[in-house]
Amino acid sequence: MSVPALQIDKVSKDFGRIIALRNVDLIVQPKEFVSILGRNGAGKTTLLNIISGVAKPSSGSVQLFGTDPTATVNKAKLAVISHEMFLYSNLTAIENLEYYARMYAVSDLDQRIEDVLNDVELRHRRFDLVATFSRGMTQRLTIARALLHKPSLLLLDEPFTGLDQHAIGMLIGLLQEQKNLGRTILLTTHDLHTAKALSERYVVLEKHRIIEDGLMADTSPDEIRTKFFSGLTTEKEL
Amino acid sequence: MRAAFSILQKDLRMEFRSKESLLAMWIFSLLIFVIFNFTFEVSRLVMLEIAPGLLWVAFIFSGMFGLNHSFAVEKENGNLRSMALMPVEGGQIYLGKFLSVTCIMLLFEILIFPIFIIFYDLQISMQMLMLIPVVLAGTIGFTSLGTILSAIAVHTRNQQILLSLLLWPLVSPIIIWSVTLSGMVLGGDLPASFYSLLTRVVAFDVIFFTISYMLFDFILED
Ligand SMILES: Nc1ncnc2c1ncn2[C@@H]1O[C@H](COP(=O)(O)OP(=O)(O)OP(=O)(O)O)[C@@H](O)[C@H]1O
Ligand SMILES: [Mg+2]
Repeated sequence: MSVPALQIDKVSKDFGRIIALRNVDLIVQPKEFVSILGRNGAGKTTLLNIISGVAKPSSGSVQLFGTDPTATVNKAKLAVISHEMFLYSNLTAIENLEYYARMYAVSDLDQRIEDVLNDVELRHRRFDLVATFSRGMTQRLTIARALLHKPSLLLLDEPFTGLDQHAIGMLIGLLQEQKNLGRTILLTTHDLHTAKALSERYVVLEKHRIIEDGLMADTSPDEIRTKFFSGLTTEKEL
Repeated sequence: MRAAFSILQKDLRMEFRSKESLLAMWIFSLLIFVIFNFTFEVSRLVMLEIAPGLLWVAFIFSGMFGLNHSFAVEKENGNLRSMALMPVEGGQIYLGKFLSVTCIMLLFEILIFPIFIIFYDLQISMQMLMLIPVVLAGTIGFTSLGTILSAIAVHTRNQQILLSLLLWPLVSPIIIWSVTLSGMVLGGDLPASFYSLLTRVVAFDVIFFTISYMLFDFILED
């Protein structure tokens, strides 16, 4: 059996008196696409932060590709899209991407930047300051930045935030492409239909624990909603 | 080195683009000179005694301003966290931030020095060239410490208070020596103690820089 892309053993995390995660176990194999579902405050973001290494678990252990998440080899493989956009507003789109490309030692830098700008349909604004971008355009640039170094593990925390219908379709297309390229992807979202369309596996976080770990093929968005998020009528509230 | 230079390039680009902090630093030190020149009715001799101190007050305030600005930019959109995610050694990130903060502070010092000469009506002499190593050594001492302490302070709520609390006790020997050295240069013949004191400042620089370079990985982790 190959080394898992991600192995989480008995991870707990608390912030002072606030419990965020309790004894979470999760193994994700390379090329898997897993949706992480759960209500506000369930611990999804905390879990992704622990996987990426920016937060330390209070107890338990995390391994990426068999080693420590903060090992340089792992950092080079990892892409994170989070609530924070990781962009300098006083730089243009292309300057931001150039900076990232250098930090990740991306080869064939100009071509790669050109490609990701086309992917997110921002080429026409490449010489504009990020400060002048709309929310959705900023999010698109964040996505371009994350794909720049061809990461093999993607951690996406509500990446659809701020995107219009067209851009949502564009990102779904990009993620499907990433999946076909054999990337391992973890996605948190409140949109069950998108989760179903993209991922083959889902986990539900509730009260700091994983209460369900199943295959999308065996269920439907409606079934997930009634089972885990009942009492709520719209997906938005989920 | 590639990563450090990318950080330097990005920082200088942003700094020159906004110009706001450079301009603010410049006006601020102009104010310092104006206030001290016109509020204290002291003899020229006394003025020359305190002039090196005033010069360093202007330098240090601009340095504080530069440091705060440089790290505010990193904090803005989670960029410091994104640096922690990059496949780059902490030391390289430290070096990049150190270089950019130092370049900006030196640039500012070059801009302020002519005003200083005019305000205090100083004779320009060859000996003034000896200010170059003094200012370099003093500035590097300040920025090598300031860079790592700013990175620590960014994680806390009252950033600037913490920065001052941590920075001043550590950096004050260097500042005091730099003022003394500048006074020697501006005050006529160099005493023999000049070189030993300058060596001491350089030694402190090397120590501060080396320790910070090695520790920076731990600071990014938070
Ligand atoms: N830095 C922090 N300090 C204190 N508490 C925190 C911190 N980060 C998260 N928490 C707490 O941990 C719990 C889990 O938060 P987390 O952000 O992981 O939830 P989430 O599932 O991502 O929610 P959402 O759907 O709203 O994004 C919450 O109770 C939250 O208040
Ligand atoms: Mg969240």
